[in-house]
Amino acid sequence: MLRKAFITMCVSLFCLITFSSSASEMVNVYSYRQPFLVEPLFEQFTKQSGVKVNVVFAKKGMAERLAREGKYSPADILLTTDISRLIELRDKDLVQPVNSSILSHAIPTQYQAQDNTWFALTTRVRNIYSAKRLGRIDLNYEDLADEKYKGRVCTRSGKHPYNVALVASMVSEHGEAYTLNWLKKVKKNLARKPQGSDRGQVQAIHQKLCDISLGNSYYFGKMLNDKKQKVWADEVYINFPNQNNRGAHINISGVAMAKYAPNAKNAQALMEFLVSKPAQELYAKTNMEYPVREDVAVSKLVASWGNYNVDDLALEEIAKHRKTALKLLDQAQFDL
Amino acid sequence: MIALYNNKRWKLSSYVIALVLILPMLVMLVGSVSASTKLFSHLWQTVLPSYLANTLLLAFWVVLLALFFGVLSASIITQTNIVFKQYLRWLLLLPLSMPAYLVAYLYTDLFDYAGPVQRILRSWFDWQTPNDYWFFDIRTLPGAALMLALVLFPYVYMLTRGALEHQDQNLFRASRLLGLTAKQSFFSVALPLARPAIAVSASLVLMETLADFATVQYFSVNTLTTAIYDTWLGYGDLAAANTLASILVLIILFVVLAEQRSRSGVTHQSARPSLKRELIQLSVGQQLLASLFCWSLVVSGFLLPIVLLIIMAVQYSDITQLSALILTGMNSLKISFFAATTAVFIALLLGLYQRLHTDKYRKIPLQVSGFGYAVPGTVLAMAMLSTLGPLDHWLNRAGELLGFSAPGLILSGSLFAIVFALVVRFSAIANGTITSGITQIPQSLDYAPASLGVNLLGSITKVHLPILTPTILMAWLLVFVEAMKELPAVLLLRPFNFETLSSQIYQLISNEMLEQGALGAILIVLFGLLPIVLLNKNKERV
Amino acid sequence: MSALLSIEQLSITLKERNIISMLNLSLNEGDILGLVGASGCGKTTLLNVIAGFIKPNGGRVFIDDHLISDGEHCLSAEQRQVGMIFQDYALFPHLTVKENIAFGLSKLSKAEQLEQVDRLLSLLKLSDYRDSYIQQLSGGQQQRVAIARALAPEPKLLLLDEPFSNIDARLRNELMLEIRQLLKRFNTTAIFVTHNKDEVFTFADKMAVMVQGRLLQIGAPSIICQQPNSYQVADFLQLGSWLPCQVKHKSAQSLLGKVTLVTHDLKQEDLLYLLVKPSHLRLKVSIDENSYPNAEVEYISVTEQGYHYYVSSINDPTKSELLSFYKLSVYSDIELSLKQKVTLSIRPHEYLFFSRPD
Repeated sequence: MLRKAFITMCVSLFCLITFSSSASEMVNVYSYRQPFLVEPLFEQFTKQSGVKVNVVFAKKGMAERLAREGKYSPADILLTTDISRLIELRDKDLVQPVNSSILSHAIPTQYQAQDNTWFALTTRVRNIYSAKRLGRIDLNYEDLADEKYKGRVCTRSGKHPYNVALVASMVSEHGEAYTLNWLKKVKKNLARKPQGSDRGQVQAIHQKLCDISLGNSYYFGKMLNDKKQKVWADEVYINFPNQNNRGAHINISGVAMAKYAPNAKNAQALMEFLVSKPAQELYAKTNMEYPVREDVAVSKLVASWGNYNVDDLALEEIAKHRKTALKLLDQAQFDL
Repeated sequence: MIALYNNKRWKLSSYVIALVLILPMLVMLVGSVSASTKLFSHLWQTVLPSYLANTLLLAFWVVLLALFFGVLSASIITQTNIVFKQYLRWLLLLPLSMPAYLVAYLYTDLFDYAGPVQRILRSWFDWQTPNDYWFFDIRTLPGAALMLALVLFPYVYMLTRGALEHQDQNLFRASRLLGLTAKQSFFSVALPLARPAIAVSASLVLMETLADFATVQYFSVNTLTTAIYDTWLGYGDLAAANTLASILVLIILFVVLAEQRSRSGVTHQSARPSLKRELIQLSVGQQLLASLFCWSLVVSGFLLPIVLLIIMAVQYSDITQLSALILTGMNSLKISFFAATTAVFIALLLGLYQRLHTDKYRKIPLQVSGFGYAVPGTVLAMAMLSTLGPLDHWLNRAGELLGFSAPGLILSGSLFAIVFALVVRFSAIANGTITSGITQIPQSLDYAPASLGVNLLGSITKVHLPILTPTILMAWLLVFVEAMKELPAVLLLRPFNFETLSSQIYQLISNEMLEQGALGAILIVLFGLLPIVLLNKNKERV
Repeated sequence: MSALLSIEQLSITLKERNIISMLNLSLNEGDILGLVGASGCGKTTLLNVIAGFIKPNGGRVFIDDHLISDGEHCLSAEQRQVGMIFQDYALFPHLTVKENIAFGLSKLSKAEQLEQVDRLLSLLKLSDYRDSYIQQLSGGQQQRVAIARALAPEPKLLLLDEPFSNIDARLRNELMLEIRQLLKRFNTTAIFVTHNKDEVFTFADKMAVMVQGRLLQIGAPSIICQQPNSYQVADFLQLGSWLPCQVKHKSAQSLLGKVTLVTHDLKQEDLLYLLVKPSHLRLKVSIDENSYPNAEVEYISVTEQGYHYYVSSINDPTKSELLSFYKLSVYSDIELSLKQKVTLSIRPHEYLFFSRPD
């Protein structure tokens, strides 16, 4: 009797799960981007098109999950926070090209794949934050290894995709040997073991544990808008590195369509929505990111940080050096 | 003793269930066979030794600290004459309801440079920069060990206290008559007799420590779990990750088996626990010290964190969070409910199989099904995807062949995956609780129904289940709470639009914004309190 | 009258140990059999086989002329209509007295159940405890509930596993008599296991002595006591002490003198043991030329019947060591001291000789 009841319960549960989500018009998103960043956009999209957006969010492992699921994966769209992840998806044959003139016209060519397998939505700079107490300073990424910053540098884990991408750009610029040496020297300059988030580093500067840190641009805006974190952000300047040479390292947040997307039409509609002017404006305004569309302005706050030069290294190059970067980080024992 | 029944269907389902529960681990082991050695040698030459060292050091410190906190407090509570014992007795259990990552975050907040403690110190002594004074850094390996020990020591406390309270008082009377003082008797009789219980609790603490992911990550202490993550998600090498995971699991299994071996046959339970015990009389100074020790454990393990959470909740909560909280809360309740129910059902099935059947190997399903406890959630999630993924494919292909539309990922893409993972992970808890309940039923009660013409089903529904009801409730609650707290497995296996309290809190913590989730955190803690209160009531009654 | 229970050639091996081998037993309807034997001799195992809790390796068991177990097939316990009273009573702690008794009555209608329960409650003087839980009862009351519960489904055969071992000695006799009356009234056939022969005298019609998995003797308790059929039976029942004797022709030589045998086909020149009860021995203290001391006092205790002594043979290098005896039990009014030398002699009676198994 007990057993029967239990079995019925299980079966009905599965039915509930599997069939409730198969409502007619929808699109399924696997997202590396945090929900609160993208949810306003999805709401807007649903309002416009009537297509429901389902999201699973995780900081890690979504691509691996997609790979495991293979042909029967429900995923239509992947949102990533990093170029390397997009390239990896393509290299593993998990995504499909999307031929859309809307997409290809809206996005500058350097920010989309030649084979249309991925598209950038926003760009972000890997900034160097510096304590206001140091005054205005001009920094290159290479300067983080300078001995005068001994014990004064903070960063999150070297293995975080943002840092890996930066290291990969260093490999591309200077080669492996130089980069390893650079990493070792930066490691020596660290005030503490790599830990926490980009925001946590700014907090550490506020706490006077260190003077300079690495962090993405939009966090600065986010922190200025948070009542607890504003005091941290008020302690630092945001700097755009390498302005007198190759330019600041940038990364993108991007989108790709899953190879076996069951709702390809809706997926394409969502992708096109994400590069539409209103969506791009939302990205700029609420997320403090740099919209990928050149005809959409950044938010006032972001604009106040000034213009900057961008490292024109092809994004694919960064992805190519990703694994090397990881190995170098291990070799330098950066996180230990 | 002789078991009664030989129900074929029951036997089959027991073995099948046990097999299903270790299937993910088997898949993992098989998957590790194809691992390439190249990545390994790279890892071994660079980071793996220190990850391994960290893992062992962390385990060592946590176990040591938890034993120190737990055994000492249990001894003080059972053996001495300190005041307010009746309150401390259950207050000391409360830290169990706190997820370690939560405590870790709260203490970091408190003791960081910008935290209130250092701020006050600075304003008192007029220090300006961190270089002006030394203050301990909590985000270190010892810090992580302390945090874990603070919330895990109640395991040691609970089991040691139980063992000490159930010892035969005549042994101490004998020891006193043989010339030993109460204190000497405690060290030469009571403590050695409690050794098996202490060993069990230490192994529990050890497993929880090795399975921890969020705390060490927050404190950026790189352990084997980090290495597994890196190899899997960074280098994209599942096989190598499987190998590392298998190594971790083997270490844990080895410890567990060693522990079981060491205490085989050394159990002691008294028929006369109710005799009044003679307490060790402490001087006033000693009493003060002992009380201080116990109270500081209670305060730092529970009271202070919960107060901090409440303050946060009061400052930051608003009505909009509430509706989101209800939704995520419901999700947490839902998966925990299914996980607890399934785990308890399985534990009953296997426990009663072991008890009532003639099969020579009847213990095996029960033992095997508990292995998952030793597997960290991350690893388990990985194994789960590797197991359920192919299964789903097979199902879909079969469906297509039969002319149906492909049903999609009904196993790996649904709540099933999470619930399955939680059941695999926490079956051991249900098994342990239910088995101990079953052993307390006299064997003759298995026979009595048959002698009255009542068959197996009748015997189970009319005798065993009713007698086990309190045990079942307890097992259910314990699994329920653990499932509420569980994080990594949930993070990786969630279906669409699915957040739980723990996953939400974890995300907020990793953005240094726990304030927004304080209400949810309080909810987890409150649920965690339920079984503790009940457990305590049960213990009082027995 | 046909046998209610009959067991043929039963053997049981547990964990590669022979617990019971080639056992035969038959019991008539209404008989109460007391099964005695040292602990570990297989008594409880035999009960468990009859109840259906253990599957035998060979042999057949019939109840009421139905085959319920042979080497291969076994009727399951709940289908045998065999009741059992367990040593620890095995009462259900989560049920009341009433519910415990009604436990085996689920086949009856509610009204019939109630009637049967009430009848048993009043028979066993438990009516006041109808709705009590088991923990609230005394040991004797729990025993009564166990009996009521076992009798309620009216089993064909009732098995009792040391049912009185947990009962206060003073209450025990009274309770045994009461239950015996009850069983007789229901005409219940019962097997009752104990290691205490006195319980058998009070409770059983028949007695069976079990030694190492074999039934050595079955019969009325008084007959077995007068005519034990083997050394083990007499020894287990502690019917007397043992005096080693050398048998030659028609006489048996012991350290207490020679006894003449009337009719016996005993093996010649064998070392046999004479069963001597205290009443068979004469004890003399005064020493004269006719009687020289052949024993010394080893142990003294005081009883209501006078002094009770254990006496052993005096170490005498001239006598055969084979015949020396040890701790013969004697009663006497004379006060003796330890190690005091005495003269023992055997009163003529119907001599019982046994050979001792190795």
